[in-house]
Amino acid sequence: MSELQHVKLHAGLYFLAALLLVGQANWFYLVGDYDRILLPALLAPLLITAALMRLGQPETARLSAYLVLVCGYLLVAIELPGESSLAPFWLGLPPVLTLLLLPLGPAMLLNLTLTPIWLLLGESLLDRDLALGYLSLVMVAGLAPWEILHQRALLKATDPLDEECDAIRRSALHDRLQSECERAELLDQRLAVLVIHLPQLEMAGEQFGAGARRALLTSLCDTVLRCSRDHDLLGREGEADFWLVLPDTSENGALLVRQRLKESLQSTVLLDTGRVDSRLYDCHLGKGESPQRFLQRLQITTQRHAES
Amino acid sequence: MQSKYKVGLLRLNLVLAALLLALMAPASENLTEALLLWMAAGWLAVSAALVEFSHRRPALVPWQLLPSLLLAALLFTAPERFPLWLWAWAALIMLPQPGWMSGLNLLLAMLSWSWLAREMPPEQAAFAGALLAALLLLGLSRSRDLAPLRGVASRRAHLVPGLRLWPRAQLARDLIRERARVHRDGVHGELMLLRTERQRLWPQAQRLCDLTRSFEHCYRIDGRTLATLLLSADAEQAEGRRTELLARMGPVRRLRTTPLDQVVSLAEECRALERQPATASAQRGVEHV
Repeated sequence: MSELQHVKLHAGLYFLAALLLVGQANWFYLVGDYDRILLPALLAPLLITAALMRLGQPETARLSAYLVLVCGYLLVAIELPGESSLAPFWLGLPPVLTLLLLPLGPAMLLNLTLTPIWLLLGESLLDRDLALGYLSLVMVAGLAPWEILHQRALLKATDPLDEECDAIRRSALHDRLQSECERAELLDQRLAVLVIHLPQLEMAGEQFGAGARRALLTSLCDTVLRCSRDHDLLGREGEADFWLVLPDTSENGALLVRQRLKESLQSTVLLDTGRVDSRLYDCHLGKGESPQRFLQRLQITTQRHAES
Repeated sequence: MQSKYKVGLLRLNLVLAALLLALMAPASENLTEALLLWMAAGWLAVSAALVEFSHRRPALVPWQLLPSLLLAALLFTAPERFPLWLWAWAALIMLPQPGWMSGLNLLLAMLSWSWLAREMPPEQAAFAGALLAALLLLGLSRSRDLAPLRGVASRRAHLVPGLRLWPRAQLARDLIRERARVHRDGVHGELMLLRTERQRLWPQAQRLCDLTRSFEHCYRIDGRTLATLLLSADAEQAEGRRTELLARMGPVRRLRTTPLDQVVSLAEECRALERQPATASAQRGVEHV
């Protein structure tokens, strides 16, 4: 689900919750329970504010989650002290709401610190079984965000592709470079690497936003794909630094690829950043040079040219 | 490894949850309730033992189904003891899961809500139901978050971090590339398929990765079949390497090697492996096409 859909769904849900509270206030009015009208009537505009804030900047969006959380807490806090048998039922709402709205760490901390407060609020709730039930709900419900984090970390560790573009990640790139060096040595072939630096990338992100940044990265990956062979390998060494590994390529061949790539990139014009600017250098695996040594040499070259 | 710490903490959380449920079990009023609590605690404890940082054990559907069924059963047998656990549905629906499981969870959540609602005043029940529906939607949006990412990445991701082992879909792509490369370089390349025992697949995969060179990738075809692309200077050297590899791999149930330029398709090779008679001696199973 895209970020925009998320924002819309959340704002819509907050808005519906506000309507629900207005409905509840009306219900209290109809049954003549005038003392209890005040809270839902006050919280409904707060939730509408939260819905509008969710649509705004990321900082205000985070604030809106806390606003909704406070509304939920107040609603439950009013329900708990009563004599009603429903108090244990409402006790389960706050921890789950917290886990849904906040990141795992803060949510768990908040849930555990609030435990005595919830249990003390309702006099009928001070009972070992209910306390255990509450704690196990906190622990078990916390497992769901854990699982999401776990899966995400796993994908990050095992997916060779970079998150932003179609180049492979740094760790995968180093592995593949090493194996290509070994292959070149075994088959007695040449190996060349083109070091590519995109000087506009940082500026594009800062001035024109994520879209321009992505457009620049995509145009690089597409151009490289067009200009290179099937088994050439594009990897992302740094933020704006890429390596194009060219197996079985002589110095002349690498120069040719370099020239073709440079011209191709120059003729690409993007909406925000204009002509794609690039700096390219070629490195070659020396006879008898170890893969580690070659990797070091490449890293030094990359650093030197990124700074100049 | 940068993410190892997460497994430790996750395991701790699982164990704590299992302990809490086990503590609740002795206070149960009847046997079913106690049994259900013990089962839930057991599920969490076994999950804690199984959790690991790899794609080796993809979450099995029956294994994921169990907590949903247990929660529903607990809410039905003892609604007066665990009413607060109704809200746990919002957390269960947050787990990454296939579409039909989300549907089932929603259905079970609705059923258990209506079961609890019998004891409530109607307006409270309606209010609680609306709130629960909102929370379920919030949870559902979190679970859908990861789904597209997983779908695409699972076809190209390593199966175990740090191990040179790839899924079957990757082999289909690499096969075409490698065939062209081998042809250009003028060397001898071959596709090797190995059939092992189901329980010995992962140790064998580890050994296969250790025994091959770093540019010869290894693949897991299915629960008991491994594959690798071997490169040698010529057919004779290939023969020697194969013998040496097999000697160090230990027993293999079936084996099939085909030179890369004769491989029609991966599916065809797998079918041929299937037709091959299982031989006690792996060496005799080698077939030269």
